[in-house]
Amino acid sequence: MILKSLELKNFRKHNDSKYEFAPSLNYLIGGNGVGKTTVLEAIYLISTTKSFRSSPDSELTAFGAESYEVISFIESFTSHKVRIYYSKQENKRVYFNDGKPLARSADIIGKFPVVVLTPADLELTHGYPADRRRFADQVISQASQAYLNILLDYNRTLKQRSSLLFKLKEQRSRSFLDQLEAWNEKLVNSGTQLVEFRRRFITDFKDYLTESYSNIMKKQETPQIEYESFARQDDDIKKVFAEKLAENRENELRRASNLVGPHRDDFVFSINGKSLRTYGSQGQHKTFQVALKFAQFFYLKDSLKNTPFFLLDDVFGELDKKRSLAISRYLKEVGQAFITLTDFSNHEFLSHDENDAAIFLSEVAAG
Amino acid sequence: MNLAAPLQAVVDELSKFPGVGAKSARRLALFLLRQPPEQVDLLIEALTGLKTKIKFCKICFNIGEEEICEICASEKRDQNTICVVEDINDVIAIERSHEYNGAYHVLGGVLSPLNGVGPEDLKVKELLVRLKGEIKEVILALNPDTEGEATSLYLNRLIEPMDIPVSRIARGLPIGGNIEFADDATIGRAVSGRGKF
Repeated sequence: MILKSLELKNFRKHNDSKYEFAPSLNYLIGGNGVGKTTVLEAIYLISTTKSFRSSPDSELTAFGAESYEVISFIESFTSHKVRIYYSKQENKRVYFNDGKPLARSADIIGKFPVVVLTPADLELTHGYPADRRRFADQVISQASQAYLNILLDYNRTLKQRSSLLFKLKEQRSRSFLDQLEAWNEKLVNSGTQLVEFRRRFITDFKDYLTESYSNIMKKQETPQIEYESFARQDDDIKKVFAEKLAENRENELRRASNLVGPHRDDFVFSINGKSLRTYGSQGQHKTFQVALKFAQFFYLKDSLKNTPFFLLDDVFGELDKKRSLAISRYLKEVGQAFITLTDFSNHEFLSHDENDAAIFLSEVAAG
Repeated sequence: MNLAAPLQAVVDELSKFPGVGAKSARRLALFLLRQPPEQVDLLIEALTGLKTKIKFCKICFNIGEEEICEICASEKRDQNTICVVEDINDVIAIERSHEYNGAYHVLGGVLSPLNGVGPEDLKVKELLVRLKGEIKEVILALNPDTEGEATSLYLNRLIEPMDIPVSRIARGLPIGGNIEFADDATIGRAVSGRGKF
């Protein structure tokens, strides 16, 4: 998949910007505040209908403007035109794929797959289990609409169930308790499907991670990723889930919250059998974060038979020369990527050739 | 621009309809304004009839013109099979198929703690009373979404001890549809819930 062009109208700082992209590496270069990351944000918006900085549409609209517009041309098996229009007054955003408005945001997920690496990804290895679940959910959802549907259904069930637990905390009535039994069964049904999906995913993903890690660090380091759930590998998930729910019943009722299920799963990273969290050096953390994203890229490419957009925001600033060089060489295998840099002169060692594009952004161009 | 008060009143009333926004309401109201008085009288008459002549069936809570709806009163229909649906629209949809010859039970919604809807707000008690009769099968035909499934699980738990077979409508591909055009979730369900050939 190739992003041919991108047009931004009243999108953050871009009053009227138009970019043509090379099918290889695209370096977006400019000082702070010229809107480099915004270009990546717009590409991400095309793929997911969301901002990776989780900004609402009103914030994406340029100061003083009433609407924004993003137009792009994409080669994905054939040519596609995506147009996103947001009106502040109606507080409504419409996503047009080849002129047809999208009925449901979820329907576009996986159509134009995307992988993004930003400084915020430090949370992947340093942060909470929720950060790692979000990563896994994003990867699997882009690879499988079925997973996304189960995930949405499961999250809806959690919301309903927590609302019921809250009512039960106020009043432990027979009627509420009977309803809880039904919601438990619903939770177990869709939760079990989630765990099964995640297990299959991790089994496949492991090899991609080993491969990408070794491309960045040509040392005797082997990365591992383990899926940690309430059920162990050989357990009957459904049975264990129901048992754990029964065990935690009083706890859940007292705290009025969902305490058991795949929404509390974690993915544990290690290198040569040692926990990354506990023993990892800064360099190993960084390498792991980058390797995860490359693994995501190649995993999606193989499962979707389509190359995702690869977005790298301000990645080289924090890396040493050796790793930066390895990553920029590795990027050559990716195909099209979008890389923000504050200054090329500091990064002359980065791999680039005549096929790559250097796009300079300035205050003037950004209006 | 402020609309004249009588016009605004109509717009406000129409805006209360599901799926009708302020703009559509205004268009409809202006349409009515341009109609000859006889036409508007016909609408008023029809609306009055709706509220005075339509009754909810005392047995299944479907709509009809008598205390007992046509379906519940019919001797040709199998009154020992009950198909449980969320609302009247679903009765109309299933009736259009001419595939079903049993009785219905309209729940009037689905369980949703978030919206404060519990079994007391639905016709669940009434269903259980009906099941004390000679019922040979209960068919659950609720929507296959989160709340619909939870409600099916809830009803199944209540009916199980009564020793009445409970079935659920099949989920899968639409007739005349192409496998390639169905969404992944539908195909997945159609494959996992496949029947013997």
